[in-house]
Order: sequence, then C-alpha cells, then structure tokens
Amino acid sequence: MSSSSPASGAVGRVSRAREYLAELWRRREFAVALGLGNLKARNASTSLGLVWWVLNPLLLGAVYFLVFGIFFQRQEPLRFLVYLLSGMFPFHFTSQAMTGGANSIIQNAKLLANLRFPRLLLPISALVESLVGFVASLGVLMVILFIAGQLIPETFFTFRLAYLPLVVLIHLTFNLGLGALTARLAVPFRDLNNLIPYVNRIWLYVTPIIWPLSLLDGLSGPMRSLVQINPMYSIVGLYRSALLGTPFIGDQVVRALAWSALTVVVGVYLFVRQEGHMVRYL
Amino acid sequence: MTRPAILVEHVDVRFRPFVDRKPTLRRSLANLRTRQVEEVVALDDVTFRVEKGEAFGVIGRNGAGKSTLLRVMARTLKPNTGRVVVNGRASTLLQLGVGFNPELSGARNIYLGGLSAGLRKAEVDEIFDDVVEYSGLGDAIHRPVKTYSSGMFSRLAFSVSMHLDPDILLLDEVLAVGDAEFREKSMQSMRDLLDRAGTIVFVSHALPQVADFCDRAMWLDAGRVRMIGEAKEVVDVYREYEKERRASAG
Repeated sequence: MSSSSPASGAVGRVSRAREYLAELWRRREFAVALGLGNLKARNASTSLGLVWWVLNPLLLGAVYFLVFGIFFQRQEPLRFLVYLLSGMFPFHFTSQAMTGGANSIIQNAKLLANLRFPRLLLPISALVESLVGFVASLGVLMVILFIAGQLIPETFFTFRLAYLPLVVLIHLTFNLGLGALTARLAVPFRDLNNLIPYVNRIWLYVTPIIWPLSLLDGLSGPMRSLVQINPMYSIVGLYRSALLGTPFIGDQVVRALAWSALTVVVGVYLFVRQEGHMVRYL
Repeated sequence: MTRPAILVEHVDVRFRPFVDRKPTLRRSLANLRTRQVEEVVALDDVTFRVEKGEAFGVIGRNGAGKSTLLRVMARTLKPNTGRVVVNGRASTLLQLGVGFNPELSGARNIYLGGLSAGLRKAEVDEIFDDVVEYSGLGDAIHRPVKTYSSGMFSRLAFSVSMHLDPDILLLDEVLAVGDAEFREKSMQSMRDLLDRAGTIVFVSHALPQVADFCDRAMWLDAGRVRMIGEAKEVVDVYREYEKERRASAG
C-alpha cells in the first residue's frame, strides 16, 4: 500500500501529520461528547453518580491515611493528610488515563469497524472522561486545603496556586501520551489490561505519596536518582508546589516538561502509526 | 459514463489469524519461534463498480466476504492490495445505531450518532427536530435508549442515518426497519435517495428483497466474484446453484 500513497518522504509526512491534526481538531466535539456520554452512562446506574469520581480518590486517600497516618502514629496527621491527597489525586488521574486508554479502543470496537475518524479521538475521549473526575477531585482538595489552612498556622494558598492550570496542562499532556501508548499496546495485547493494576500499584509505591520525602535522605545517591527519574515524582512535586506552597524546584519543572513532551510524542506517534491496522485486531 | 459512485479494483483482503486476531502475549512469544504464515483470504481479486443512482446488491453464503467488502467500501478496513474509490459521502448502516449509548436518552444519542458520523454539533442542532419527527418517537426521545423496543431503536438509528444526508448508503442486512408503517416510510426514503442520484449498496441473505429492490447484484463466493449482473438474474443463478449444492451434499 505504501507505493500508492501520493505523498512520501519527509515533506509528505509533515503534511499528513498536519492533516491528521486538523481532522482531530475538527472532530473534537465528538471526543468530548463520547467521553461525557460514557461518564454519564457509567454513573447512570449508581445512585451516587458523579460523586464517585470524588469519592473514589477520597476513599483511597482515607484508607492510606488510616494506615500510614493514624496506625503508624505520624506526627501532625493533618499535614500528612494534605501531603497525601495532593499526591494521591493527581496519581489517580494518571492511573485512570492508563486504564481508560487501554480500554478505549476495545470498548469502541463497533465505532472502529463502522466509521472513519482519527482513532486518536478514542483515547482522547477517555481522557476527557477522567479529566472531569480529576477536576472535581481538585475542587474537593481545595476545600480540604482551605480547612487545613485554618487549623495549621501556615498558609497553603500562595501565589503559586496561579501555576496550577499550567501544572494540570503538563500532567494532561503526559496522560494523553500515556493513554495513547496503552491504547496502542492493549489492542494486540489484551493481557495488558490484567497487568495495569499491578503496574499502577508499584508505580504508586515508588512515588512519594504515601511515604514522606524525607525518606529519600536515607537512600544512596544512585537509588535516589532512580526514584527521582519517575515522571510522577516530578509531576506530583509540581502539584505540591502549586497547592501546598512549597517552592518550585527547577529540576522537577524541567523533568516534568521533558517527560510529558517525550511521552506525548512517542505515545501519539506509535498510536497513529498503527491505527490503520487496529480494526484487524478486533 | 460519468464517474462511478464506487470503484473497487483488484481488492485483496487477507487476515492472518495468528497475528491479526487477538494475539496474546503467549501467542506472540510462540510466534517468535514458529512463524505462522497461513492466511485466511477474505477477498480475492474483487473488482466491480457501482454507478450513481444505482441500488447494488451483494449476495453469497456466510463467510463469503460480504461484510468485509462493506468495511472496505466504508474505508474502515484497508485492503492488502487493490484500490477503492468512493465518490460521495458514505454513510454505513453496517450496524444500525453505531455510536449509540443505550444508557443515554434518545436525544443525546442523536448527538452522539451525528457527531460520530462526522457532523459538527451545530449541524446536529439543525437536523435534530427533523430526526425526532421522522423517527416518530415523540416524548420517548427523552427516555434512555435501553428502554426502547428494538423497533423503536432501529427507527431512531435509521432516522439519524437518513438525516446525515448521505450520497451512498452501505446497508448490512437492514433494508427496512420498524413496523409496517415505518417500513413503508423508510423504503420511500431510500427510493428518494436513488432518485436524487444517490447510491445504495445492500448486503443481504434476503434474496427476494435483493431481487426486488436492487438494479444489479454481485454474487460473492469464498471471497471471489462469481457473477455480476442484473439483480434478478444473479439471484436466480445463485438460488439454482445453492439448490444443486444442497442436493449433491444431501
């Protein structure tokens, strides 16, 4: 088939990429409607509906808070709580993006077989779906932070909060790449769906969310670098800077930007390169 | 003759069952050693053209490649070799109600169906009232689609598809849907489409419908074109052949 494509070479690739992006943009309403539709449908059968999107990370946070904050008798449990949740919620968004991406193609097999559209719209619609929940959970986090700020003699809300949208954007880009990547991999390898929960669990444990940053001091140099190379290490760090008022660390900003750029380019490239063949796997 | 609505030239579609169909990790690892080269040929050197204003039937046994051919024409499946040219806006009824979400209301599904077929939201706004009116669903449009009867479901799906204003309809086993009254209405819509120089490709096992409705027909057998010609003639020859085959088998 490659011989029949009129545009070839680097120039052709650029113009095809442009066309693809233009079509993606033209069909954006479809991705949003599909994502919101799935969100609504998923909650239609539960009595609490959308509340679950806030409740899920909240309950998850509550469990860990109970275990690590109360049973282990950490000092200043409230401070630990905001530390925990400011990491847990963003992490939850990323794990949703992984799961959603992996399911997005298989769940929409009928659409794929019948209609022509840029396939990337499917992982994007999954991302839209999880973004709604994430924004809701950020709202809850703000309320908690506000209450905690009254109790702890130290301000949580600083001028750095203004950077939050930027942090979310970096995170969103990273998740888009990750979702495209898992979508690409899950089509030929259905086994991936069984694997993702374990990947998620390990990823959570190696990210400073349920354990304090001070734990890093006890690690050797190479080990510490290994922990810090984790993209979520930097992304969660940015959230904490924006939400809890700790200073931004240059290293973290650079790493988060680099990770999200790399992930989105690699993820989308691998996805788009294979999307013409996806229908054969369904 | 003017440009055809659909031109299919020397199209081959082959599936490699091991590699193409759900290769799990285990199978892929196994494939590394024993390379599976066996292929299933779904379409083998298929060539035909469909003119504008024509109703074109495709008949053949199960597994003859009819649905694969429809997917190739809908251009959701790339053939391994060969060329497919489609002049016009193809709308497939390949599966009625594609893009619908049964948990959501009929109204929301009109938007989902329209957007998934490539319309903008503003464009769906414009056709919305007509779609509801044509479907005859009335207030039921605000109920979740999962509460619909299958007739109501197909009426809504058909109504959405017809209002996409397609030049080319690709139908898989669905020609007329709903109750008697709606069937008449849907048949009339399709005749109107043909009168406007629209094109219909109809894949079916319902031989009388193909003979009645289609101008020309094609008989597919194991991925190959056995015969193309006037619909009634093709249907007759196919029937005769099947009767003989059954007689010799039994």
